[in-house]
Amino acid sequence: MDIKILGTGCPKCQRLEQLTREVATEIGVDAQFEHVRDIAKIMEYSVLSTPALVIEGEVKVAGRMPTKEEIGHWLGKLG
Amino acid sequence: MELLYATLQSGLASLASYLAAHVLLCLVPAFFVAGALSALLPQQSVIRFLGPDAPKWVAYPAAAGAGSLLAVCSCTVQPLFAGIYSKGAGLGPGITFLFFAPAANILALSYTGVALGADFAIARVVLSLCFGIGIGMIMALLFHRDDAARLANAEAFAGEEGINRRTVIFLIALIALLIGGTLKLDFLTTRLVTLDFTLPAAPAAQAVLDRLVPVNTIKGDEGLSLQGVMLITLLALIGATALHGLGKVDEGFNRLTKVTLGLIAATLVFAAIGMQVTGNGLRFSISGRALAVAALLALLVPLARRFDAWDIQQWLWETWRFVCQIFPLLIVGVFLVGVIRVFIRPEWIQAIAGSNTLLGNLSGVVFGIFMYFPTLVEVPIAKMFLSLGMHPGPLIAYLMADPELSLQSILITSAIIGKLKAWTYVGFVALFSTASGLAYGACVDGEPIVMIALAITAFVGILIGAMYYVGRRQAPAAA
Repeated sequence: MDIKILGTGCPKCQRLEQLTREVATEIGVDAQFEHVRDIAKIMEYSVLSTPALVIEGEVKVAGRMPTKEEIGHWLGKLG
Repeated sequence: MELLYATLQSGLASLASYLAAHVLLCLVPAFFVAGALSALLPQQSVIRFLGPDAPKWVAYPAAAGAGSLLAVCSCTVQPLFAGIYSKGAGLGPGITFLFFAPAANILALSYTGVALGADFAIARVVLSLCFGIGIGMIMALLFHRDDAARLANAEAFAGEEGINRRTVIFLIALIALLIGGTLKLDFLTTRLVTLDFTLPAAPAAQAVLDRLVPVNTIKGDEGLSLQGVMLITLLALIGATALHGLGKVDEGFNRLTKVTLGLIAATLVFAAIGMQVTGNGLRFSISGRALAVAALLALLVPLARRFDAWDIQQWLWETWRFVCQIFPLLIVGVFLVGVIRVFIRPEWIQAIAGSNTLLGNLSGVVFGIFMYFPTLVEVPIAKMFLSLGMHPGPLIAYLMADPELSLQSILITSAIIGKLKAWTYVGFVALFSTASGLAYGACVDGEPIVMIALAITAFVGILIGAMYYVGRRQAPAAA
């Protein structure tokens, strides 16, 4: 599964990556992580605010911190 | 050797009086408000007003609102600005946001209000709002051809999330705490009860403190009270418990979380209670402020319980992140301001910016552009200038220019919108900062406020008219 975290390196974005990795390990999803820091690339997703989580090319959440359950739901539905 | 001692003492004294007198009551709740805005307010709820199709009369105020509500640190400013500019409402509102965010976010405002006075905070908001929107509109006018071409192939973004009521109520309670703890209103400061305790050690301790941190009204040194020392101790304790209690709260509430929050509440109430050293003991005076702070703190508990545990954890974690990010810089900054102050002669400041002249305002702006101070450090620096005899006009000019313009922000801006636009923006900010300094200075010097308000209104009115005209001319071409 292709997972991208969009963030400019703010603490929230780091935390989102950490959280998503934790959830992925917990439910045993095989995933590639990429942390997109380039503002031009981030803008390609039409995201106005970071942190944002992109799973399989689809923006799942932007501008706020999702709960572990939410992340698990998104990962589980696809995985 | 003596100079070194004097410098260090000045630095420490400045730090001590800041920690004891100012930081507590305003910054502690302000950090919690900032944390709540960042964690509980979905950014989409504000940003949806900034889409490419948003009408101008919605987009500009929304951009200013986004600036003061969402952007506390530069890591949010940058992506939001890029987003508003390239996918959203366009250059004008983007610039408004960029201008307004550093000057008028909740931390900067509450800190300015407490350290320099409410009139400076109000001047900062009103002038930033007028000129932020003004500069945004001018930029949009100047570059409207580019903007039209760029927006043509931008796709819309959707934002569904609204703000729910419990968040609004919770935020109002937090802001009430912030205001109740800081405002110098009569009904809050009137003494209701005074309690005297006999404690012979108290006057002796105060005498020691007066020797270590002398009160000097000419230089504006405030000295350090016994209550101040106790507050600093409490702050240090909070810091120690918060390291684990708030730093690890995102993994679940731990025992130290409760201890930290309890300590913070106790500190806020204690700070609101007046404590004076009398001839042979201590006198506590309980005012309306102490009661208001205590009542609001008690009210926050049931309000917070209405949220999911996760949201509250996020809130506390964000708050602690802001503290970690800003507080150390602020402490270093305040200390250095105290050190530098020893070397600056009041005559220099008075000669350059002691009166409300064009040169004085310009030098305030130039100093603001070439000096880069981290978030909020501009406030103690401004306070130093004020106590050294700077006129309020140039001071506002400096306060307007410093957070908006720094080498760093110029570089970021030019990476996103290009060099030409970025430097045009810089020029306008310098121009308008000088203008706002002159306006505010004239107001302080006794010009009738109505005239100044009229001038600003006329200026903004002309801009809006021009915007409307260009919009009308563009409309048939676009259709």
